[in-house]
Amino acid sequence: MDISKISDMEHIYEAGTFDVAVIGAGHAGCEAAHAAAALGLKTILFTLHLDAVANLPCNPSVGGTAKGQLVREIDALGGIMGKVADRCAIQMRMLNRSKGPAVFSPRAQMDRSDYSVVMKELLEDTPNLTLRQAHITEILTENGSAAGVMTEAGGIYRAKAIVLSSGTYMEARTIRGEVIVESGPDGLPRSEGLSSCLKEEGIPLLRFKTGTPVRVNAGSVNFDEMDIQEGEDDIPPFSFAEEMNGYRVMPVSEQIPCHSVWTTEETRQVIKDNMDRSPLYSGVITGTGPRYCPSIEDKFMRFADKSRHLIFIEPMGRRTKELYLQGFSTSLPEEVQEKMVKSLPGMRNAVIQRSAYAIEYDLIDPTSLKASLESRILKGLFSAGQVNGSSGYEEAAGQGIIAGINAAMKVLGKDPLIIDRADGYIGVLIDDLVTKGTNEPYRMMTSRAEYRLFLRQDNADRRLTPAGYKIGLISEERYSQFKEKVRLIEEETARLMSTYVAPTTELAAYLEPLGQTPPKSGVSLAELIKRPGVTYEGLKIIDKDRPDLPDYVTRSVEVDLKYEGYLALEMAKIEKFRQLETKALPEDIDYDDVKGLRIEARQKLAKMRPESIGRASRISGVSPADCEVLLVYLEALRRKNDE
Amino acid sequence: MFAACSTPAGISGIAVIRVSGNGCIEHLDPYVKTVRAAGGKKTLSELSGYESLYGLITDPVSNEVIDDVMVTVFRAPHSYTGEDMAEISCHGSLAVKQELLRLLFSTGIEPALPGQFSRTAFINGKMTLDGAEAVMDVINADSAKALEAGRRIMSGALAQRIGIAEADLYEAMALIEMIVEFPEHDDTEANEERVISLADKAGEELKKLSDSYGMGRLLSERVRIALVGIPNSGKSTLANALSGQEKSIVTDIPGTTRDAVESNIAVRGIPVTLIDTAGITSTDDVVEKIGVERSKEIFSTADMAFILIPPDMTLEETKERIDMPDSGVYKVLIFSKSDIGANPDEDRITEYGESVGIRKIIHVSGKEFSNIEDMEDAIEEFYNSCGSGSSEGLLITNGRHMALISKAIEYIDMAKKAVQDGMGVETASSVLRAALDELGQITGKTVSSDLADTIFGRFCIGK
Repeated sequence: MDISKISDMEHIYEAGTFDVAVIGAGHAGCEAAHAAAALGLKTILFTLHLDAVANLPCNPSVGGTAKGQLVREIDALGGIMGKVADRCAIQMRMLNRSKGPAVFSPRAQMDRSDYSVVMKELLEDTPNLTLRQAHITEILTENGSAAGVMTEAGGIYRAKAIVLSSGTYMEARTIRGEVIVESGPDGLPRSEGLSSCLKEEGIPLLRFKTGTPVRVNAGSVNFDEMDIQEGEDDIPPFSFAEEMNGYRVMPVSEQIPCHSVWTTEETRQVIKDNMDRSPLYSGVITGTGPRYCPSIEDKFMRFADKSRHLIFIEPMGRRTKELYLQGFSTSLPEEVQEKMVKSLPGMRNAVIQRSAYAIEYDLIDPTSLKASLESRILKGLFSAGQVNGSSGYEEAAGQGIIAGINAAMKVLGKDPLIIDRADGYIGVLIDDLVTKGTNEPYRMMTSRAEYRLFLRQDNADRRLTPAGYKIGLISEERYSQFKEKVRLIEEETARLMSTYVAPTTELAAYLEPLGQTPPKSGVSLAELIKRPGVTYEGLKIIDKDRPDLPDYVTRSVEVDLKYEGYLALEMAKIEKFRQLETKALPEDIDYDDVKGLRIEARQKLAKMRPESIGRASRISGVSPADCEVLLVYLEALRRKNDE
Repeated sequence: MFAACSTPAGISGIAVIRVSGNGCIEHLDPYVKTVRAAGGKKTLSELSGYESLYGLITDPVSNEVIDDVMVTVFRAPHSYTGEDMAEISCHGSLAVKQELLRLLFSTGIEPALPGQFSRTAFINGKMTLDGAEAVMDVINADSAKALEAGRRIMSGALAQRIGIAEADLYEAMALIEMIVEFPEHDDTEANEERVISLADKAGEELKKLSDSYGMGRLLSERVRIALVGIPNSGKSTLANALSGQEKSIVTDIPGTTRDAVESNIAVRGIPVTLIDTAGITSTDDVVEKIGVERSKEIFSTADMAFILIPPDMTLEETKERIDMPDSGVYKVLIFSKSDIGANPDEDRITEYGESVGIRKIIHVSGKEFSNIEDMEDAIEEFYNSCGSGSSEGLLITNGRHMALISKAIEYIDMAKKAVQDGMGVETASSVLRAALDELGQITGKTVSSDLADTIFGRFCIGK
């Protein structure tokens, strides 16, 4: 709504003027607000409920494959998710340990209520940041740019940039069988009015569906009938800052275990008998659900050849008995949920504390966004998180920090920060959303990244901390610590490459059990590390004079050396990738003027206006042949200008 | 607007002259007097795409009829080049073609540059680069086998075959993703053995293709055959007999061919470059000496060599004059001028030849063209001995394709090794992706910024 119209309205008042206003204090909103405020901008963060800041309404965990990398990247840029997660963790693991370090992914169970409290306090302590409970119903515009927001209570908050991070709340409804309620997740109020406001501005909307499983009381289940899953020692924290300050995660003895069970034949039967009551199959739910995180009834229907599915039982915190049943989300009616839960091993007498539900919500079609996460349609409006079609806390936070930074950059009149696909998973995530779009809630997966060996959790700081420092989110103190770490890595790598060891019996005794032929002449330590099975730690016996270095240094040294050849190949590919990314397409290019583009490509390009050939090549409907045509057009243009 | 005669030079029943350029149909209109046209239409301009008319091409100045022709029009973008086009079918005499083109050029239409039709088609998005590349290969093909190979690639057969390997690689990568992405679910059927076996399958498929390059290369680069022997051993006579042209001067004076003379011929569909070398002799003549050195060099770098031994050459002379390298050159020993008489030393020379790897022995008389077939057999045998033979009729003829396929094979091996070395399947996945990138440059799935350079190099656009 144009800000000039408010003068006609009753019961409104001027509530304040800010640089940046953030709508929604979920994982995207918290990062966005923190980043903008930390960059010195006067920022306000709105939430529908102050007791639900950074709520974890679904799984009580942070990290996992690809998501763990995201958390470390957010931290590397100067974000807060990692720090909060480290403080609230009740169990830590490194997934994919049996595979290579490129796909090691940290994951931690969270104390859910702690997480919200710790995050809220951190935000309250952030200078320049106001945390405000209010229901935003209008986005105000002025001369075609975002200019502020209006609350349900009539408060007008003026702002130079707005970050919309409304999660799954816009016009949401929850569904349990036949019971449909207009509600946000977790019984929280839904957000009303923003959808129509966006539509009026011409922003295209989509409607998605997601869901969450039941929670049961731990006192009512028998863990003896389940497989136990303990945490691990010596996991690095999510936060690089904490890691460099010598932080150690708690020992396994202080962690809380998870459990797992398989569904039974009875589970399958209960679901089969009640499929007609599933809103997914009866057509009540029209939103698109996530394929990779399907409801349990979906799994049984789609994978009919599988007689059972694995369910993980996760604790929700230290001061609660609530257990989360991962992999058991459903939109079947409550009475059926009861029967389903009781069919699981150890859960014959389980008491349900919260029921499962599916939730439908409005979101922005992310292809209407620029790579900076600013709307291409309404200037000054940024958006991040599930409202952009993603799924997951980490994906939301990863967009949040970028939206917050770029809202700040916009206000400051500076260039936006763009993380590309070779910089980090954050870049892959945003690029996928804004150039390819999505037709289901988008989950980050390592397979979406082309340069997976390079985009590791252990080097996220080396990839992104310099950018975080340049933008102003990384303190001088932390940056000098980081530089020292890089220096140590480089020094130790050089030492291993130039230190040659003799073919002693000691070396042979180490190599032979690993199935490695002992060398006949002198060989460098670096060469030895490249051999299968050989580790930095293991070589200690022949490398007695090595300096005493922290784990976070030696781990990176080891990975860099072990994967040297493969990384070199990836770096060569990155260079080629960047060549296309830097082939800029002029903003005012008239695609009707480019001979040879197919009609579909012409329309898509005119609509999405990609910044570079690289980005154009990833738009669906734009073929490599179309890109060849664009390359030729650019080259011809260049030659013409040269003349 | 540009035009060219698209049928071969020389006299034929009819010939086709193609004109391309937006507005070219209207441009031609004044020069074509309609006799009868599709749908009773009156002029060329009225015709829709794919319609023809029968008419008279007339010189507007002299008002003279040049020829009666059929003109088919194509409207942009539905034409070969993507522009408006006209195809004029005229009579195939040299005079008619010349007159017609002269008329067209006098109206402001430009003569087409080599490959300009394909280049325009490419720029207008009617053809991908590999398609254009294949068209160029077809245009340049000057033997039946090379043409066939080019046509197969143009028809997408290569992309199709590479697609088979790509599918296996994609499947291997999908398995890897299951292993990596869902570490908590170990009930998948995805495992390293299956990844390796799929990578193997893809590698073998590509190997078959790369093996065909032995033959394919000969089609694009031609089989280079050196004719080697002492002066006056009959090399030139033989060369002339094989090529049917009097390119070398045949005289009875030894040392007539001082410099190497090359002629391109096709033998049983195989493109061949015959190199008629200067006779190898121990001479003091400076010019001749250079020729001799050059002959030796050609001998050692050719694909094949015909070594000629005249009837009066002894074993000692053979050893002294012809330094036969025991190398990969496919050597054929020819006892020449058998019409004059048999060589008394034949058995001993044969024995010597076998010791340096002679593959075949032929008796031939140049003057009477006797046993030319034996030589043709020898060429065909050599060709068939190169590579594993054609891969279901598909040959890699293009060096760029070969380099990309070889690189892809190398990456597949590297990926397998990564798994075997315990580097993790995700490492293998990274390398397999690199292999797919290479293949994508053949099939047109990978966009590369080098491409503009390639295109500009090949087509010199924008000049």
